[in-house]
Amino acid sequence: MPTKYLVVFAQSHSDFRIPELKSVAELYKFSLLLPEPCDPSRPFMVIELDQEEHARLLAKRCILIKSIYEFYGQGATYDELHAVVQKNQALWEQYKQDTSFRFSVAAYNHSITKARQREVMESFGYMEFLGKIDLKSPTIVLGCYEEYGDTRGKEFSNKVVDGQFRQVYFGRLIEEGSARALISRFDVKKRVYFGNTSMEAEISLLMANQCLARPGSLVYDPFMGTGSMAYPTSHFGSFVVGSDIDGRQMRGKGKKAGVLRAATQYGTAHRVVDLLTFDVTRNPWRCGGLFDAIVTDPPYGVRAGAKRLGGRRRSPTAKQLAAYSEHQAAPRPADQPYIPPTKPYELSELARDLVVLARYLLKPQGRLVFFLPTVNDEYEDVDIHTMLCEGMELIANSLQDFGSWGRRLVTIKKVTSDTYPAPFGDNGEQSQNTTEHEPAHKDFREKYFQGFRKGTSTTLDDA
Amino acid sequence: MVRLITHNLLSCHAKGCTTNNFPLQFKDAEIEHRDAEFNPEFIRGLLPKIEWKALVDTAKGLGDTSLPDEQPEMMDDELLKTLHHVLLEVHIEEGQMICPNCNHVYPISNGIPNMLLAEHEIA
Repeated sequence: MPTKYLVVFAQSHSDFRIPELKSVAELYKFSLLLPEPCDPSRPFMVIELDQEEHARLLAKRCILIKSIYEFYGQGATYDELHAVVQKNQALWEQYKQDTSFRFSVAAYNHSITKARQREVMESFGYMEFLGKIDLKSPTIVLGCYEEYGDTRGKEFSNKVVDGQFRQVYFGRLIEEGSARALISRFDVKKRVYFGNTSMEAEISLLMANQCLARPGSLVYDPFMGTGSMAYPTSHFGSFVVGSDIDGRQMRGKGKKAGVLRAATQYGTAHRVVDLLTFDVTRNPWRCGGLFDAIVTDPPYGVRAGAKRLGGRRRSPTAKQLAAYSEHQAAPRPADQPYIPPTKPYELSELARDLVVLARYLLKPQGRLVFFLPTVNDEYEDVDIHTMLCEGMELIANSLQDFGSWGRRLVTIKKVTSDTYPAPFGDNGEQSQNTTEHEPAHKDFREKYFQGFRKGTSTTLDDA
Repeated sequence: MVRLITHNLLSCHAKGCTTNNFPLQFKDAEIEHRDAEFNPEFIRGLLPKIEWKALVDTAKGLGDTSLPDEQPEMMDDELLKTLHHVLLEVHIEEGQMICPNCNHVYPISNGIPNMLLAEHEIA
């Protein structure tokens, strides 16, 4: 029979909370029932699980879980709460006789004075716990959380600006979330190798959960860069293959590739299977159906623009051919390889191509997880839906909000076991926009540098 | 790096090179052996995608004759361990991979192969 659990979330990335819960439940193959209606913006959530062990798995793997409690009750007032807790006596009766315990009373968006904490604890007197109160190492911890409304964005007054009391929750601690400690472990500032576009640790860990990183799965990052995605995924046991059109990002300086040096720091270098330099739109993969997940942060052109092979001229000049055959005859050293011409790769085109490519390269049930920047005022859900193709289904879309723009972490699942031909045939140009719809992320770079002014989305492609 | 697992999944992708473009031939290969953790499920999961003959021939070319010529029907633990070693513990750090069909040279430097194509090799 399912039991109710109270999830206490960390106060960040609220849009990522539910996708992460669902992903981790899928990863460990247990069922998870979310409340109806479900408001992920609130820091407390009562979910249903079949086993206590599942709650522990969530707390150990979800980056956004602070702690998880067996749920004893909630209410809009303490009277309401106490009525429910008394009704649920069967859940806590077993601890009455001689279990050592301690209370923890806290609040979201509010601080509770010591005196009031004491009052709250005493109000649970009817539970008649006879065990010893042990502040250091109690057998059980009973948690009481008050939730106050958000005051962000409300008018500032000189008075105390706490919001309205909304709800109070009560339960028995099952497990403190331990995955949040990984945020500090993977801190980019402590990493031996990183670049100016490296993904921050917390988000890269969330991406690793979205792609169900697990022992023995094979994960591919086609825009490897400095390898931000490789470290958390390989930490969770995945084997990682990375490619990039520009090998310098993966190499860094020195004899040993930068990505490998960082992976060595995390003890996962043996799971970084290979790093390869090529343009993903001209890729040498021999066949499809190879990867359990594709997880990537495509360059979207603010600090580093996306490029693909190809010049504007169709046939090379005699001089270019000569330069190339000279290179083939006597390859130059690694620090100055032959660098073929590249051209810009427009973001909405890249996103559509990535979905088609993922359908080819993923195993059935495999996941594509990637970031897409967008203009918040112009964004519509149809932006994401128009880049899907047959056999590829959207399962999560979470916004990280930066004000006028944001980036959306998109998770797409390959729901077909049909095989599709490799995209990017000999002409290499894949994407045809089959719909009239122009997504908000189209020409994102130009919009970004124009400060997202309306009606100025002219293409500066050749600038 | 350039482990044989990766090598087995790559073919030449130069313009018009669509037949006999696999496996790429190693030349002047500098080999290193590095231990990797053994995950039998991972190896089993890979097997359907591995071209056995190409793997055996490539391993032989690098002086490793531990794999049988024909892919056995049954995979016992011993064979999985041998495969694990061949696929994941043999690294080509320097050298070249050459297409048997169009002779395109993909150089390997510090374990990273450069598989970019020149302007005239893409359409």
